[in-house]
Amino acid sequence: MNQKNNLIIGLIIAGVVVMSVNVDADPRDFAEGLPNIGIMLKEITEVDSSLFVTAFWSMLETIQMAFIGTVVGVAISLPLSLLAARNLNNKFVYVPIRALLAAIRTFPSILWAILFVIIVGLGPFAGVLAIIMYTVGFIAKLQYEAIEATDADPMDAVGAIGVSKIQLIRFVVLPESASHLLSQILYIFDYNIRQTSILGLVGAGGIGFYIINYIKFFEYGKAAVFMLVVLATVLIIEWVSVRVRDKYIVKSQRGMQIKS
Amino acid sequence: MQEQKGSTFPSISTLSIVQMNDVSASYDSKDYVLKNIQMSISRGANYAIVGQSGSGKSTLLRLINGMMSPTKGKIMVDYKTPNTSDKKFKSMMHKIGYIPQNLGLIKNSTVLENVLIGALPRVSGFNSFFKKFSNSEIDNAKKILKQVGLQGKAERKVYMLSGGEKRRVAIARALVQKPEIILADEIVSELDHVTAREIMEVLAEAQATMKLTAIMVHHDLQLALEYADRVAVIKEGEKVLEIGVEGDRIVDFQSGNYTQREILEMFTNESKE
Ligand SMILES: Nc1ncnc2c1ncn2[C@@H]1O[C@H](COP(=O)(O)OP(=O)(O)O)[C@@H](O)[C@H]1O
Ligand SMILES: [Mg+2]
Repeated sequence: MNQKNNLIIGLIIAGVVVMSVNVDADPRDFAEGLPNIGIMLKEITEVDSSLFVTAFWSMLETIQMAFIGTVVGVAISLPLSLLAARNLNNKFVYVPIRALLAAIRTFPSILWAILFVIIVGLGPFAGVLAIIMYTVGFIAKLQYEAIEATDADPMDAVGAIGVSKIQLIRFVVLPESASHLLSQILYIFDYNIRQTSILGLVGAGGIGFYIINYIKFFEYGKAAVFMLVVLATVLIIEWVSVRVRDKYIVKSQRGMQIKS
Repeated sequence: MQEQKGSTFPSISTLSIVQMNDVSASYDSKDYVLKNIQMSISRGANYAIVGQSGSGKSTLLRLINGMMSPTKGKIMVDYKTPNTSDKKFKSMMHKIGYIPQNLGLIKNSTVLENVLIGALPRVSGFNSFFKKFSNSEIDNAKKILKQVGLQGKAERKVYMLSGGEKRRVAIARALVQKPEIILADEIVSELDHVTAREIMEVLAEAQATMKLTAIMVHHDLQLALEYADRVAVIKEGEKVLEIGVEGDRIVDFQSGNYTQREILEMFTNESKE
């Protein structure tokens, strides 16, 4: 620890205090509001189990939306990320593609959902379109970074044979980065399920529609049923993706020993 | 043009597949890493390049396959100027089997997939996208796998192989190209003596049966003299000697600043490090 570090840490803490005042973040409000949590928790425990069937079907709709959004989003982002990779293209190709992706990324999924509700109307289709856009913007960046991290040695060795770019991609880039790409796809699917769960807030389909409506009318017990189903689903998806990861990713990278 | 002292070798240019005239090369316009290289490699020769680490051997190979261009001087490979980004050189790239020092294999792909990469110039973009190869290409690849001693290993992933086996895969990939020239960069340097000689035998046999020109970089002068018919010695970017074994004599083809004995001593000392 030296003087300079102390000064930087001091400045950061001062910054947090000043900014909290600016945005009206007052810890006293939190303390005063604590009893409300108690009320909410009490009502949440009064779970209305008759709603589990509805919750199940709306969760299924959510998963399907997330699945379509992830698959289509990845199908669009993969070619874009190949065009955005600096080790495969010249700057006249990758600069505009990167700019496009950065523009897509500026919108969170909920804003895309509002936009698509306006365009295609209320319902799950707007949600699917929102997930596609979010997936493209988010995953394409991760993918072109993984593609750029492809080992230069096989790229050079195979490039020196004089193969076409498509062949280089198919035989070197994709196999070398496959485990990273798969890992990212699993991650975004997991993430998409969680964010599709809230798109109902703006009328774009899925389980969030019920959650927001019950919360609006202070029926926490009913909302709790839907939230429990979301929680269970996220846990199951997590469990499945760990399995897929172990089978296809860890194995292909060799070396990592899983402690059990 | 350099004077050739070894009378048994045919004269340069008419038969040479690689011709370097006064070639100098540098990275990032700093000091030259290769200086005024004169080199003439005849078609079908088994040519070795030897030198200490950092002397410029790998750079020399990259000049021959066109991954790098000389800062000064002229290189001709089969009467064309090597340049990997020049479309006119593409057909020559198909004919150069380049085995870099780190082999450049695709670790997560199988042996057969790696080896079939050598056949890609003969496969359409559409078929290669679906990894579809004709039966004759697959048969040929398997024949070459057998030739390099990898029979039964076709479906094995490359990361599971031993160092010697990986080198055989890299050789097979180059041979599947049906090459005219093989460039191998220190392909046996990291192997034990027995494995190194096995790999050299594989290359020597392929060279003889497929009528290739082999240009191989070695760290070990003894090994180079054992397998090559000519050995160029590079020291700090300059070619200081070009020698060959004729019967039981070492013949000097270039009047160098060093005597053969000095060079031999230099290397025997170094390889003991
Ligand atoms: N990509 C590069 N950028 C800058 N300098 C390099 C690069 N590759 C090699 N060099 C330098 O060029 C010289 C010759 O390198 P190299 O041809 O690899 O030698 P060798 O193969 O004989 O060990 C060394 O001094 C090395 O540091
Ligand atoms: Mg080297």
